[in-house]
Amino acid sequence: PPSCWLFCSPLLPSPLTPALSPHRCHPPPSALSTPPSPGEGGEFRKQRPRGTQQGHHLQRNMAGAGGGNDIQWCFSQVKGAVDDDVAEADIISTVEFNHSGELLATGDKGGRVVIFQQEQENKIQSHSRGEYNVYSTFQSHEPEFDYLKSLEIEEKINKIRWLPQKNAAQFLLSTNDKTIKLWKISERDKRPEGYNLKEEDGRYRDPTTVTTLRVPVFRPMDLMVEASPRRIFANAHTYHINSISINSDYETYLSADDLRINLWHLEITDRSFNIVDIKPANMEELTEVITAAEFHPNSCNTFVYSSSKGTIRLCDMRASALCDRHSKLFEEPEDPSNRSFFSEIISSISDVKFSHSGRYMMTRDYLSVKIWDLNMENRPVETYQVHEYLRSKLCSLYENDCIFDKFECCWNGSDSVVMTGSYNNFFRMFDRNTKRDITLEASRENNKPRTVLKPRKVCASGKRKKDEISVDSLDFNKKILHTAWHPKENIIAVATTNNLYIFQDKV
Amino acid sequence: MEVQKEAQRIMTLSVWKMYHSRMQRGGLRLHRSLQLSLVMRSARELYLSAKVEAHEPEVPLPPVRSPDPRLHQSREAEAVAEAAPPDGEQPSPEPMDTREAPPAEETPARCAPRPAKVSRKRRNSSLSDGGDVGLVPSKKARLEEEGEGASAEVSDRLQPPPAQAEGAFPNLARVLQRRFSGLLNCSPAAPPTAPPACEAKPACRPADSMLNVLVRAVVA
Repeated sequence: PPSCWLFCSPLLPSPLTPALSPHRCHPPPSALSTPPSPGEGGEFRKQRPRGTQQGHHLQRNMAGAGGGNDIQWCFSQVKGAVDDDVAEADIISTVEFNHSGELLATGDKGGRVVIFQQEQENKIQSHSRGEYNVYSTFQSHEPEFDYLKSLEIEEKINKIRWLPQKNAAQFLLSTNDKTIKLWKISERDKRPEGYNLKEEDGRYRDPTTVTTLRVPVFRPMDLMVEASPRRIFANAHTYHINSISINSDYETYLSADDLRINLWHLEITDRSFNIVDIKPANMEELTEVITAAEFHPNSCNTFVYSSSKGTIRLCDMRASALCDRHSKLFEEPEDPSNRSFFSEIISSISDVKFSHSGRYMMTRDYLSVKIWDLNMENRPVETYQVHEYLRSKLCSLYENDCIFDKFECCWNGSDSVVMTGSYNNFFRMFDRNTKRDITLEASRENNKPRTVLKPRKVCASGKRKKDEISVDSLDFNKKILHTAWHPKENIIAVATTNNLYIFQDKV
Repeated sequence: MEVQKEAQRIMTLSVWKMYHSRMQRGGLRLHRSLQLSLVMRSARELYLSAKVEAHEPEVPLPPVRSPDPRLHQSREAEAVAEAAPPDGEQPSPEPMDTREAPPAEETPARCAPRPAKVSRKRRNSSLSDGGDVGLVPSKKARLEEEGEGASAEVSDRLQPPPAQAEGAFPNLARVLQRRFSGLLNCSPAAPPTAPPACEAKPACRPADSMLNVLVRAVVA
């Protein structure tokens, strides 16, 4: 019933949309030109030049041709508050481009989703791609309280995944620790006018004054973007949801928590199928948890899940209803020379992503990124060290909790370059073809548009060269956990704690 | 000694983190708790092995200067080592490698038979989280049932751990108490199911008060 979708608390404006006034889930009727419908997530009015949308889908030279280092990355935009005092609710917790790259969604710890839309390219100004501007903001999740367990359920958005576009509206899944929601984001640019019984502002006319009969017609109006929750998938996870992944059949999706993975149908909210369950009969015997899961981009029967022990299991849903037995187990034997006190916890995989081709998958553990060929289980085909200089600092990183940070990773559109974040607001790219890597920094100091980012370097030990940064002066509070790469172009979105940076290649 | 101090410091830190994680919003996180308990276990093993070495200098054991040599073990051996905590008191690598035979007799209470799904699963109990993640008030004070609180005066008799988990925190309390009772009681850690402790009874050193306080806080 719609009542369960109502959000009762007022929405705070997200700092990513500074220019907007707070909008409410139930705006008073006069603010809307159409009768309010229950469950509206919120909308805002936006002026947007009308026109065709095809312009910005121009295919550029993909990063693959030039490589991660041949590209010069330039600052494009930064979203979010400037002040150093970061409100906890503003901490960005997920970033995701949609399938065309036109839309960029972020989720934050306050349960809000902000969607940016790329402006169509101005043909005259061909030296820059369209900018991303706020398209929609809504409160996706609210804090809840589980009375049975005396537990607060955080509203933090753990993951956002876009559905491929099937009609005029856009759909995305957003999840917090316990509940997944399907949101519909639709545009409204015309409204019916000329009702017989109502005035334009919605008030009913005195029936005695109605002397003519007319047919209401649609007239253009200022563009309004509305977000409404269409499905709520709740009460299926005992533990904290860490992943959602939409199947290539576009009908089903999986959600994974620490011990279980469930399969849902997008239309059905009252039940899901449990496809993986690694909970031991005796919880005292628990040794590993699921850390991430993803469907294969092409095979709708295949998915993988990673574990806290550094293993990845590939499962085929055709094999059995409960995929506890993996079809493939990807695990690299540990290098004994790297064995240390904290080896176990730094081998935990924090993210797993299939390549667009479906041939490879990438995993991120605390210190490295590994590329696996799905046909080879015993070791990765490529390993890239993200910040090996931290290996000798693991004890300090344990003390300040940084060792538990969960970094994500992403592929570029052609699967030739991979990217992940690090500390000090650094992020790293690895070109798989040229084997070169680059470290860049997301900082407001470089915020003139089209400023080329200067490569950074961390000095592990010994003499520090000019422009290098020593390990001890890295700011471990400035971490980049979430990054996203446009599916078709060399545009990347990099989230620092509470800011979103957009970089493009130099055109 | 340095190793011992460091290991103790890490254990103290881990206990504190475990305690602190219960307070945070969203409740206890299973993955985090598991990682903390892994570190605690490693620290404990290190501590105990360093302690043994400190008291048995004549025994020609490989010097345990760093955790690394100790950790050259197969996963199965490590699993067994975990299942029977006093194994940590035998720091030499060889017994660990051959420990695949003893486990059956050492851990009768812990061998919950289950089909081996994946061979690499370790049979350790790094965290007893029950079926629920959350702050479930226990109906009876498990500490009283076991006879001791985390007090230093307590003798080293320990009840066998109840087989059935009652909830997240009673188990956690039990795990912590079992693991740290040795430190708190100034006696060899002698879990109920274990073979006789092989380390000589050390001189009763004053328990680290910070550790005591923290563990008591968590156990309480």
